Amino acid sequence: MRDHLGRSCIQVFLTGIFWYCLAVAAMAHASLTGAVPADGAVVNAPPKTLSLYFSEPVSPLVLRLILPDGQSKTLETFVLRDRTLEITAPGDLAVGTHVLAWRVVSEDGHPIAGSTIFSIGAPSNAPQAAGEVIDWPVRMALWLARIAMYAGLFFGIGGLFAVRWLIPGGVDGLPVIRAALLLGISGTAVSLGLQGLDALGAPLSSLADHAVWSAGLETSFGLTVMALSSAFLLALATSSRTTVSGRAASLVAIVAGSAAMALSGHASSATPQWLMRPAVFVHVVTIAIWIGSLPPLAYALQHGGDAARQALGRFSRLIPVCVAALTASGLLLAIVQVQTFDALVSTAYGNVLLAKTALLVVLFLLVAANRWVFTKPAERGEQGAARRLARAAIIETMIALVIFVVAATWRFTPPPRALAIAAAQPVSIHVHADKAMAEIAVTPGRAGPVGLSAIILAPEFTAITPKEVAFALSNPQAGIEPMRRKAMLHADGVWRAADVNLPIAGQWRVRVDILISDFELVRLEDTIELPR
Amino acid sequence: MLKRTLATVAALALGSSAALAHVSLQLKEAPVGSTYRAIFQVPHGCEGKPTNVVRVQIPEGVIAVKPQPKAGWTLEKIKGAYAKSYDYYGTPTSEGVKEIVWSGGNLGDDEYDEFVLRVYLTKDLKAGETLHFPVVQECPDGVAERWIEIPAAGQSEDDLELPAPGVKLLEAVSGH
Repeated sequence: MRDHLGRSCIQVFLTGIFWYCLAVAAMAHASLTGAVPADGAVVNAPPKTLSLYFSEPVSPLVLRLILPDGQSKTLETFVLRDRTLEITAPGDLAVGTHVLAWRVVSEDGHPIAGSTIFSIGAPSNAPQAAGEVIDWPVRMALWLARIAMYAGLFFGIGGLFAVRWLIPGGVDGLPVIRAALLLGISGTAVSLGLQGLDALGAPLSSLADHAVWSAGLETSFGLTVMALSSAFLLALATSSRTTVSGRAASLVAIVAGSAAMALSGHASSATPQWLMRPAVFVHVVTIAIWIGSLPPLAYALQHGGDAARQALGRFSRLIPVCVAALTASGLLLAIVQVQTFDALVSTAYGNVLLAKTALLVVLFLLVAANRWVFTKPAERGEQGAARRLARAAIIETMIALVIFVVAATWRFTPPPRALAIAAAQPVSIHVHADKAMAEIAVTPGRAGPVGLSAIILAPEFTAITPKEVAFALSNPQAGIEPMRRKAMLHADGVWRAADVNLPIAGQWRVRVDILISDFELVRLEDTIELPR
Repeated sequence: MLKRTLATVAALALGSSAALAHVSLQLKEAPVGSTYRAIFQVPHGCEGKPTNVVRVQIPEGVIAVKPQPKAGWTLEKIKGAYAKSYDYYGTPTSEGVKEIVWSGGNLGDDEYDEFVLRVYLTKDLKAGETLHFPVVQECPDGVAERWIEIPAAGQSEDDLELPAPGVKLLEAVSGH
């Protein structure tokens, strides 16, 4: 009996010691004391080995290298030297930012993990992953509708204006102008629905949906459609009036139609608005006057007579002013939208501008040749010169049409200005807890070298000044273990961490460690999404 | 059988305490309504640097705090009012030591030391819960290790990066 009691006591004692040891073991951990290349370093040549120094001997569980293209490579060749882990780097490391994600276990079995980041040559952004899926049928339809709109505005409304104001007693070519007007108004109407499809991301088959059309109307393009349709209707209704009211109506139509184009679109939404909207208006109205008068002029020249000569005289006096205004406004728009010469080549918007400019140069050469070679003889009444001029005007019209076709693709290419603004937009989140809250921002909101900032507030939105603030960033999906960065308090009350590089886009876990007082630590954590 | 078990236990104890990194309390359990010897084990400096200052925050409900002086360290007792009045063997106690600071020492990163307090765990503390003593180690150049995280409901100490050392509170021993 006594013996039994003694054994029980020993058992209890041993169990106690055993659990105590387990508890001790679970609390132990090693920590990273250094790395080569150092965390955040930029090195000139690809390193042959990657070294991690720990406070205690460790053995690796998983070692992964996340490459600049976002791919992950498991590293299996390493040497352990006491507290140093020397990993053989892959031989084919490319230029750019790499993340070494490590998970090791210290002697006691407690796994710890972290990431160090280094760049070869220079820090890089992650390559853009495949973007959104493009709905080609909708895109084609939008493009065709836009071309129809341009044709209607420039050949229809512009043509009517030329017939009423430039060509004395002109009634010739009216059927073509009416056809252009009809094409324009149908293109405009249909593009409202297509705009709705684009806004909702719906397929072409949903075009009959009521919701699609009201979505289209709610975009800024809805205003353009309404104003432009009114201009088309006015032009159609008054297309056979040759009186003063007819002339007035054609003037109102060309002004309203051009103003409609300034109500929406990339260029009109740029700043400064007071300059950009008038520039778009001037650009459109001068195109309408110039290009619109080409077909009626060609028609008049082919038929010859006094009317043709008078028309040519007015045209050759008015058009240089138009072309000057057109070029000046066009240059202004291009400078604001494209910003840098690089963007001409590197962005789709810039490429379209280059193509358009090339076509314009051809058009201008032709116009100049006509003006210096044929205009004077034609004005004197030489039939041959007039015929050649008429043919030239038709060719110029064709080139203008091609320019419209090219310019219509701008609907799908955000200008470099907008791309730069979008790329510089910070991504921010608000994290809330009982004792503190934080407004965390990643600027710019994309992969690559970024600034990390946090505004720390007490729960009632009153200011608090923590003793220390630190960030920990991880990307569990990409296998990137927490990277820790200390934040510094700046004069504007914002805590900022420099030297932060988020090498890939996607979901990042952001944790802010706020040391409120010596003994009070608040950790706030949430997910932040870096757009691809 | 017993020999082998003892050997295993000894090996485990030796092996693991060498790698111990967190500041911890040596005595893991204590009944409420009793005197407790809080022995803080400091196994490391901060990121390789020696420890110069050790600060212990006294949690509410812990009174009659008496630190054990250490040669080479200056002792400081920061006093203040408690949240309420506690009974200390019949004497109402409403103020006392709230923080103990050992400073001016130099405990190398590769050295180990213990810092001891004698405290009274009042009966206002709840048996079954864990009482945490937040500890800060300060090192040169403003570097510090802060063992100050207290697990929230549903969390365990293992979930925390910087757990504060704790003692499991037991039922008061009757007869005292």
